[in-house]
Amino acid sequence: MALSDYLVTDDLTIILALVAAGLFLLHNLYKPQALVHPILLGRQSDVARVRNPSESAVYRNYSTGMLGRFPVRPTKDQQVLLDLVKPDADAPRTLWSTKITNPQLRERIANFGAGLAKVAGLVPQESNVLLLLNDGIEFIISDLALASHLIPSFTLSSLSLLSPVLESHPPSLIITEAAFLPHLLELIYDSNESEHHTIVVVGDVAMANLPQVQNKILHWDDIERQGAALDKSVLPAPEPSDVFTVSFFETPSGGHDGVQLTHENMTAGVAATRALVPPSSALSPLDTIVSTYSLSTPYGRAIAYTALFEGTGFATVDSTKLIKPEGAPTFMGLKDLRTSASYRISSPTVLFVHSHHLNSLTNTILQEAQKASWLLYNFAWRHKLAGILEGYMTKQSLWDRLVFDGARVKVMGKGAGTVRAVAVSGGPFEAQALTPSRIALSVPVINVHSHPLAAGPVFASHAQDLQTFPPTPVSSSAASAADAYAFTYLAPVGPPTVNVEVKLTGVDDTAVEAGADPVGALHMRGPSIGRPLSVEEEAAEEDQRGWRFTGERAKVAPNGTFKVVAAGKA
Amino acid sequence: MAFDLGTPVNTALLLYILYSIQRIIFPSNSVPQSVPNEFKNGYTWMPKSHPPTLLYQTYTPKTLAPFDGKEGRRILLSIKGVVYDVTAGRNFYGPEGMYANFAGRDASRGMAKQSFDEEMITPIDQPLDKLDDLTPEEIANMHGWMEHFASKYIICGKLVENDAV
Repeated sequence: MALSDYLVTDDLTIILALVAAGLFLLHNLYKPQALVHPILLGRQSDVARVRNPSESAVYRNYSTGMLGRFPVRPTKDQQVLLDLVKPDADAPRTLWSTKITNPQLRERIANFGAGLAKVAGLVPQESNVLLLLNDGIEFIISDLALASHLIPSFTLSSLSLLSPVLESHPPSLIITEAAFLPHLLELIYDSNESEHHTIVVVGDVAMANLPQVQNKILHWDDIERQGAALDKSVLPAPEPSDVFTVSFFETPSGGHDGVQLTHENMTAGVAATRALVPPSSALSPLDTIVSTYSLSTPYGRAIAYTALFEGTGFATVDSTKLIKPEGAPTFMGLKDLRTSASYRISSPTVLFVHSHHLNSLTNTILQEAQKASWLLYNFAWRHKLAGILEGYMTKQSLWDRLVFDGARVKVMGKGAGTVRAVAVSGGPFEAQALTPSRIALSVPVINVHSHPLAAGPVFASHAQDLQTFPPTPVSSSAASAADAYAFTYLAPVGPPTVNVEVKLTGVDDTAVEAGADPVGALHMRGPSIGRPLSVEEEAAEEDQRGWRFTGERAKVAPNGTFKVVAAGKA
Repeated sequence: MAFDLGTPVNTALLLYILYSIQRIIFPSNSVPQSVPNEFKNGYTWMPKSHPPTLLYQTYTPKTLAPFDGKEGRRILLSIKGVVYDVTAGRNFYGPEGMYANFAGRDASRGMAKQSFDEEMITPIDQPLDKLDDLTPEEIANMHGWMEHFASKYIICGKLVENDAV
């Protein structure tokens, strides 16, 4: 047959040709566009041009740059801690279960501060106050009142530090919960302290059951009431470089250390925490933040003050409680997240959680989705994963409506519709847990690394980064077996945040000059990093001043992202 | 014939349509085995190498001399014990440049006296120029040059005597 016989066309051909053309256009041009262009994800840190022998170069966030100045406060008006409660923003918002506006909050702070100064006789810059409180509005009011009166506060990350801290740094005043008062009095009595602490109690306490001690016991509400009746004199303004709190924490080696935080450290921490979410969807008074980090830790406090500054609602979960009733269960994962519902906040929009919370939430959502319809679930997974591999993710796709929204509503309730970003930190987060989390939640999941010395995050991944790297074996023989496992399987935590610079020490020079990834001990410096009590003297030279050893090891990838192994982890 | 090839064009189009439908309904989830090194080749990519970083080293006049830019080598020069990497200024300090005399050498005296003559440079095997006989203006001029170099080029080492290492 001649060629023309093969090319016979008829009406069916025209129809098929149109359909084929349509499908070609659909398949090739209707590709979803990546949320962030991949070229930006290839250079996430700015690297110094020179490095010292056996050290890596200094790394900073690419947006700050090696020549840029670190942001030290959210806006120029926030010089000290109390400025974070903006006096002119008078929209009410709910903090835990209290609906309050900023001017009302400032008034309560001033009342409590005045009452405390008169009744408890505290001397600015000489007295210390130990805050043994669970997270709540009393903590915030006490903290801000003490900060404005130039009285440093102490906080503990766990109750096991109470005895060592009472011995080494005896406070003049202790503010505690009513439930803990008998315990505390016993502890003071047993330790035969020569100093008599005054104790302020939050909540109702039955005075009859208490052991007889010589300490003065005051009630928080009384102090606030008395302070309201006083004339408030104008106080000397604190300097941003004044230490307003010392936060004690346990070191991985079993001892304890404290970090001195200044007003500037905390405002810088707030600036860094604000920068976690992209500017196009910045935090606003319409948001509600739920945090699983206790206010007794610097990172937890930075999150709380960010919420205060932005005027969002705020609540914490049960596991942040320092003081729990005897025999109370410790919640983990999803159960813990659900305890935030006991407060009167509106549905959460931004979550700051630990990795076990996120893993539990993800697994539950995916199980629910699978239970509904196995076939549809597989289809949905396949399509969502194809989108993620192109860098695109949305919560409003067809597959969300068909499969995942139902599961999310079952698991998160109203939060299914409102949660718009999750920042996960604390605890090893594996790279293979990233994709299920992204598919289950379909919101930006920001991998953050925090440290007890830093108010605010140290590392934070790009909010719209959806890159999925396969686990690559670490070739460097210098890394120990535990490190090699961690560096292969952990999710990268991204570049340093906008106001932190990091470097690695103990780096193998020959390997790095040959092109390998630098691996070493992590040191950090920045305006949000506090000064540990264990550091007595600062280095003389400007270059070496301010570097703090984190006790962790890290590895840098060529695109400027880091993988950090927590200290003391097997 | 059992198989009708009457309209092969239709068959071809039909096959293409079926293939497209299959790609749309069952999108590919394949992750490439090795991570691409260019962003054009994939959303998930990793640059091939880290951004270039110089190692801060201690040089002596003898070890500094080879870095004169010949045969494509780096160009270093030193002022008052600070070694600068001036490879970016190959036009000036490279083999055909106006200031090629300074490449790989201690240029302190030349910078102070604003001269590129051969007698400003001490030979490699002699001790470093102590610069005792410079006037305060010349020293200020030299510091001005040091600031210029620090901002325009990279400080990558320090220069010590030949026997100090």
